[in-house]
Amino acid sequence: MTDELEEPLALVTDVVGDRAGEWDRGGRLPEEEVRWLGAKGLLCAQIPPEFGGRGFSSEENGRLTAHTGRLCSSLRSLMTSQGMAAWTVERFGSGAQQGRYLSQLTSGSLTGVAFSEPAAGSDLSAISTRISAEGDTVLIEGQKVWVTGAAYADLLVVFGRYGEGAAAAVVPTDAAGVAVRPIPDPLGCRAAGHADVSFDGVRIPADSLLGGAGLPIEWLVTSALTYGRLSVAWGCVGILQACLSAAAGHAAVREQSGRRLVDHQLVARHLAELLVAEQAAVRCCEHASRCWDRGIPMATSAVLTKHFAATNAARGAASAVQVLGSAGARDGETVARAYRDAKVMEIIEGSSEISQLLLSEHAVSVWS
Amino acid sequence: MNASVNETTGTPAAEQVRTTMLEFLEERTRQPVEADTDLFASGLVSSMFAMELLVHLERSFGVAVAGPDLKLDNFRTVEAMTELVLRLRGGADD
Repeated sequence: MTDELEEPLALVTDVVGDRAGEWDRGGRLPEEEVRWLGAKGLLCAQIPPEFGGRGFSSEENGRLTAHTGRLCSSLRSLMTSQGMAAWTVERFGSGAQQGRYLSQLTSGSLTGVAFSEPAAGSDLSAISTRISAEGDTVLIEGQKVWVTGAAYADLLVVFGRYGEGAAAAVVPTDAAGVAVRPIPDPLGCRAAGHADVSFDGVRIPADSLLGGAGLPIEWLVTSALTYGRLSVAWGCVGILQACLSAAAGHAAVREQSGRRLVDHQLVARHLAELLVAEQAAVRCCEHASRCWDRGIPMATSAVLTKHFAATNAARGAASAVQVLGSAGARDGETVARAYRDAKVMEIIEGSSEISQLLLSEHAVSVWS
Repeated sequence: MNASVNETTGTPAAEQVRTTMLEFLEERTRQPVEADTDLFASGLVSSMFAMELLVHLERSFGVAVAGPDLKLDNFRTVEAMTELVLRLRGGADD
């Protein structure tokens, strides 16, 4: 670990303490403390220092994300959303927009990114939310679902149709016509503030529209999704580490039939496979992050990494529950939470099946 | 020397941009690409690849493509990308 990471990791550890299970059961993170982490620049740590950010590399931010994911996937999930929003503003925003929004995102404001709609999940080309320029205002009309962090958010980056293409706009959640309805009892990342959001004749200033307006939707969302996929993958590394720690810790002391669990070969295999999954996921994430940091094309690598990490986190968490047995089989236990959280990771930022479709296209283009 | 080559797009700087982007595209798509090939109509550039193309262009030539320049027509052909890079560099010949 580099010295630069020591303090941020400790800050996250201090904030979470042993409360992740409690937050999960209550479906709510302590908002003031989350905002405090935001004001420390830790929810979108790759933002450059001139906007109040930490200026972390993707790899450094990845370590922070894994550490957070190991402690609490709901908090890590907010980190992913905040980072995606920030990256979208950094990528497509003008200098003035970067200054305005990024400094808010590093000083305690919370944000989410609105992609999915009732009729557009994996297929974002089907989105129907409309963004239109009208004089010196922008009009937003439509409905978004499952927006991570929306229950806490001050700002939302909203993707919609714009003319023949698409656009992204930054919408304050207190603007007239915005309604945020939190989703009760999600399967996983229960405290991440998932909500459905409707935009009913929402009018905001024209300079809320980010650059690239009119580009195809896939162009606009690929940047955010690539960031999000890598962040989710690092978060899955954290889930695997939490599972490894719980399962190895339990198997090393719990005795059955006069022997420690780890001395039972079928249990030992679970530990071995968990270790392999964690190490391989770390290596995949490191590779993708280093490509990001060097400007080497890595959109496909991010899909592969997310798919690999999420699939392995789901499988690894299931194994960890199996190793802990009744000790892990109730809400609030680390492995039970990991089991539910990891399953959600196979769905968001491109489901496993969508990832496989993208990867199979890549396989044909490179190997046929 | 082709008669249609103008003052800007015929310079060594332009040739360097053109060659770099053509090599990148041919390596990634494993298809022959011409400077005037419509990359979208031909299906050579997928949506996944589009942003990578943009990042590659920015990194290779030290330019930032933002605001109104972020439009499809600026990336439709290698020729269009070459003009964009030269314009963003302010026509500097280096």
